Amino acid sequence: MKNVKRLFKNEAVRKILLFFNENPNCIDTAKGISLWISWDINIIQKALNQLVEEGIITSHQAASTTAYAYTNNKEIVKKIEKHVKSMLK
Amino acid sequence: MNESEKREKQEFLIRFSRSSSVSAFRKICSKILRKSRCAFLDAEYKPVKYGGECNHLKLGKYLARLKSNPLREYMLFRCNCNKICLSFPIIQGSSVYGHVLFIHLNKEPRKTAIDSVRICMDLALKEFQKERELNKLYETIRPRAIALSTIHTIHRLLSSTLNMDELIERIARLTLQVMRSRHCSIMLMDESKKYLIPKAVINLDEEIPKTGPQYKKIRLGVKLEGRVAKTGKAALSRNSVCVPLVEEDIIGVISARNKTNDAPFDKFELEILITLAEQAVIAVKNAEMYEEQEKMAYGSIKTLAALLDSKSPNTFTHSDQFVKMVLAIAEEMKLPREDITNLHYSALLPDTGKFSIPDEILKKPGSLSSAEYDIIKKQHLESLKIIEHLEFLKPAIPIIRHHHERYDGAGYPDGLKGKAIPVGARVMAVANAFEAMVSARPYKGKKISIFQAIKEIEKNKGTQFDPEAVDAFIEVAKKPEFKNILGASA
Repeated sequence: MKNVKRLFKNEAVRKILLFFNENPNCIDTAKGISLWISWDINIIQKALNQLVEEGIITSHQAASTTAYAYTNNKEIVKKIEKHVKSMLK
Repeated sequence: MNESEKREKQEFLIRFSRSSSVSAFRKICSKILRKSRCAFLDAEYKPVKYGGECNHLKLGKYLARLKSNPLREYMLFRCNCNKICLSFPIIQGSSVYGHVLFIHLNKEPRKTAIDSVRICMDLALKEFQKERELNKLYETIRPRAIALSTIHTIHRLLSSTLNMDELIERIARLTLQVMRSRHCSIMLMDESKKYLIPKAVINLDEEIPKTGPQYKKIRLGVKLEGRVAKTGKAALSRNSVCVPLVEEDIIGVISARNKTNDAPFDKFELEILITLAEQAVIAVKNAEMYEEQEKMAYGSIKTLAALLDSKSPNTFTHSDQFVKMVLAIAEEMKLPREDITNLHYSALLPDTGKFSIPDEILKKPGSLSSAEYDIIKKQHLESLKIIEHLEFLKPAIPIIRHHHERYDGAGYPDGLKGKAIPVGARVMAVANAFEAMVSARPYKGKKISIFQAIKEIEKNKGTQFDPEAVDAFIEVAKKPEFKNILGASA
């Protein structure tokens, strides 16, 4: 995983990470996620692909549906949570 | 006023004083009253913590002395510094929540200015109430809506497969994801209804072998899963949650253990797992029905093949090795599950098209005359009508029909070329040629060695055979399991 700070510089990535940090149980399609965070679906799709490559988001593929969920990796989740908390201070 | 009421009012006041509606209110009032500072006091005239600056702390005490006013109205007064101050009560329903204080006004405001401030205050309060309602909705409804959307996505993911093994594995992975747990197991009831058979056990910390103790069957009533399956009641504890899979009877259980962040499981998560289990039951039942249908279809094809074999053994059907070879090539090419099923059916009845072809042509050694070749083409299509009434075999017909086509277009019956030939037919063509070369079919001439047959197929890559199918065949031939596929003929 890249430096968390650097990841958060991309606005779409930041929004996705904030969303999953707040809703870690969520599994949704790119369209669903773009609706939850009110952002353009194409940009969100690109950001999701990047996050899947980084291992922060897991993709579940089945026939015509690809769904995305937050990683179960404790360390990654902790790092992101810490960064979000420092942002909110 | 009791303590909790006091706290509630104070909290309201703090939130109000920090809200965006108040910052707009401050700006407007500052214009109306011409330069003034605004502070908030609670219902007992104490300055509100975090509620904006109040350098004039003594003012609260001073105001408290003026309590004779029932505080439903504004108060205009001079403070200890002999400067003009204005105070408004903040009223919600029938109670006073606090006061807003404008300190050190330049001059005494007119009645119209005071009225304007009062109207602004009412608007700010209304705006704040709306903000609160929206926040409440955001905090309560949004997580539910997201959970609902998650369940809908899970439903879509589960309903897109009818393969039981794939489905169970997918349910387990999704459960891990949704429950944020490190361990998940799915167990289904055996036929005797006395035991639970683990079908998928996933632990994020270690690979669980299918032969490991975690895959041992569990008697009903024993362990958490066994108890849940026996009673049909979901169980929730700090580190585990287990729910039954209920259709009409209990068909199994799903359990999750140990959250990734070491937090305890809560009732909301139990609710989500119950809903997920309901989706899982529907998907499992659909997969079971599909498996049964497949078994019936497979049985019908086997019967048909046996009937054809009774007429002329090994003419219309091929060996088990041939079927295995076809499936191995298809798997190597990573064809979709549905295509592989259709290819399986086709491989069981590959030469149904020969049914109406006269024996003297079928069993003729050496090459055919063009007249005989024309008969083959015509009869090939006629024969396929035997199976077209079987709905489940319809997708297999194009494979059976075209498996004698050549990749370069020189085959029969339609002279299709390249990718125009169904992929299943291209796969079957390779396996068919290989089998013909390594087995001694009476009308196919001399048998050659496996090594020679592989070389021959490789030589015809791109002309007689699809290059992708040949590459996959070569890969299959390299594997140690190849000997098992060939069985006795190896």
